[in-house]
Amino acid sequence: MDNRLTKKKFLNISYRTQRQINGFIFVLPWLIGFLLFLIIPFVNTVIYSFSAVNVKETGGMMLDFTGIQNYIDLFNTEVSSDNQQIVRILVDENIRIFTNTPLIVIFSLFAALLGNAQFKGRGVLRVILFLPIILGLNVVVSLIAVSTGGDITSESIGTVFETESILMFLLRYTFLPINIIHFLSDTVSNIFILISQAGVQTLIFLAGLQSISPSLYEVAKIEGANAYELFWKVTLPLLSNITVFVVIYTLVELFLGSTISHEIYNFAFSKSKIGVGSALSIVYMFNILLDLGILVLIMKKVVNIDYGSKL
Amino acid sequence: MAVNYKSYATAYFLKKRVLKFVSDVFFYSLVVGLCFVILYPLIKTLPLVFNSIGDLGNPDIVWIPIRPSVVSFRAAIRLVYGNGLIMLQTLLYVAVIMVIQVFMSAMSGYALARIKFFGSNLILYLVILTFLIPPQSMLISQYLRFKHFDIFGIMTMLSGGPLDLINKQGTLFILAIFGFGVNQSLFVFIFRQFFKGMPIELEEAAFLDGCGFYRTYFNIMLPNALPAIMTVAVLSFVWNYGDTYLTGYFHPQGPYLANVLTQTFMPARAEFTLKAIGIWYNEPSVNTFAFDAVKQAAALLYLIPLLITYFFAQGKLVENIERVGIVG
Repeated sequence: MDNRLTKKKFLNISYRTQRQINGFIFVLPWLIGFLLFLIIPFVNTVIYSFSAVNVKETGGMMLDFTGIQNYIDLFNTEVSSDNQQIVRILVDENIRIFTNTPLIVIFSLFAALLGNAQFKGRGVLRVILFLPIILGLNVVVSLIAVSTGGDITSESIGTVFETESILMFLLRYTFLPINIIHFLSDTVSNIFILISQAGVQTLIFLAGLQSISPSLYEVAKIEGANAYELFWKVTLPLLSNITVFVVIYTLVELFLGSTISHEIYNFAFSKSKIGVGSALSIVYMFNILLDLGILVLIMKKVVNIDYGSKL
Repeated sequence: MAVNYKSYATAYFLKKRVLKFVSDVFFYSLVVGLCFVILYPLIKTLPLVFNSIGDLGNPDIVWIPIRPSVVSFRAAIRLVYGNGLIMLQTLLYVAVIMVIQVFMSAMSGYALARIKFFGSNLILYLVILTFLIPPQSMLISQYLRFKHFDIFGIMTMLSGGPLDLINKQGTLFILAIFGFGVNQSLFVFIFRQFFKGMPIELEEAAFLDGCGFYRTYFNIMLPNALPAIMTVAVLSFVWNYGDTYLTGYFHPQGPYLANVLTQTFMPARAEFTLKAIGIWYNEPSVNTFAFDAVKQAAALLYLIPLLITYFFAQGKLVENIERVGIVG
């Protein structure tokens, strides 16, 4: 009897360790990849960014430590491929990302709400709602865009969807400040680009909406809530965690599509200034982490982020 | 005076019906408007693509071509697609990468979800961090690393010098195997969330019935993770098919449709393309609109496999994402 018990206990412990070892083996490829393709490149990028890099004839690299010279060059003397100051590009990109993120998130929430409503032809709407996952691919966007010459269709449509007329209307009949009007008309004319980036977000929101239990809505209705209250008091609070996820996802996606990455390549391989390019990489990375930090801080004020259930 | 209840009732129902009608009109116009806005970029290409080359740029022809033709498609096929081999090569590559990505991320995701070992939480945070750091910021160092690839001098010992892995398809597979394909950390996270939500009893039952670790995983857990597998597979397929970053920098001369299309239809090559179209199809008056027409025809052809996959998968997609539980 005693013997059996100890044997069982021994087996138990060994099973757990065995499991841990096996689990570790399962993660091992990813860990190796993390070391090879993230940690080492990161360390190298930091080293390059602090030195003048020359490629030797034989294929090796020559590194001369120059301190923060690359960073000074990056912000003072270097220009981008279309002769703009780097600071200018960074500021522009950040403004673009910070204005577009809320727009995309709100639009995708709206689209998901429509896709979740009960009506005839909902299936068709859903098919179309997720099309931006495909149509928003960078290749597709750049291929479909009209690149040379005038755009006949858009010119002729111009009379129908006159963005100018919206601008005139706002200027004439509302008392909004000029900046806001400018922003509104810009948004209206860029709506197709914004929407093309909302596919995955809509999908995530729709899944979130479907996971909300219908009984909550029933209770609220019995208590006398109208549709407006249902949205603000039931739907939105229950979507808060998903919203955080969607906001972070959108921000990262927008950063991936920004022009900064082209500039990095441009510096490193077209101008052969690997040091300056690496400095820009580091700046770029800190920029995105900083933006995420700010966003999470803002959202912490509004949303009760529940890391516990998510992780 | 007798009150005419009947007319009251009619008025009530009439009011209800009118209200319903009005709200329906608003709702459907919203829905139709939304669909239109999403589809507009596609719709806009149609008149251009089906116009004959000579009629392009004619201000009288906007939506309906007078002489419909498929010359643009023929030009696109001749310029890029050839006999369709490149499409097959791309699809094959994407399929292989998709399988690798699903397999590897499912393994990591399962281990991170179910097995507590030293540092497993730290690894999870690293996965999330990896998703947040744009791969482009590592571009230079990764590029140079692959250009002179060497792990602790082993390669130099074996083959007498560092390997040049740039411009080899294997590089892309290596990246995917080690978890750094397109958006792969997101896939790991999706799998992790899914396995976290699966009932622990499944594993316990398998253990009691005498399944080892690997048998439990491959026979019990993986087949039950079909929703997560499908979601990741669809996303991986779409993103890899449209990827120009990894393929463009690490295998620039490879047969990848997205890359070839971007290179063929660079604005710098417009002149050449126009001349080619003019000579091939005997069109004396080729203007810059023809370039756009051919480009968009190529884009539409490029979209076909994506759309087919998408129409088969989309019905399941929402349901699956919900069961996967990215949403927390």
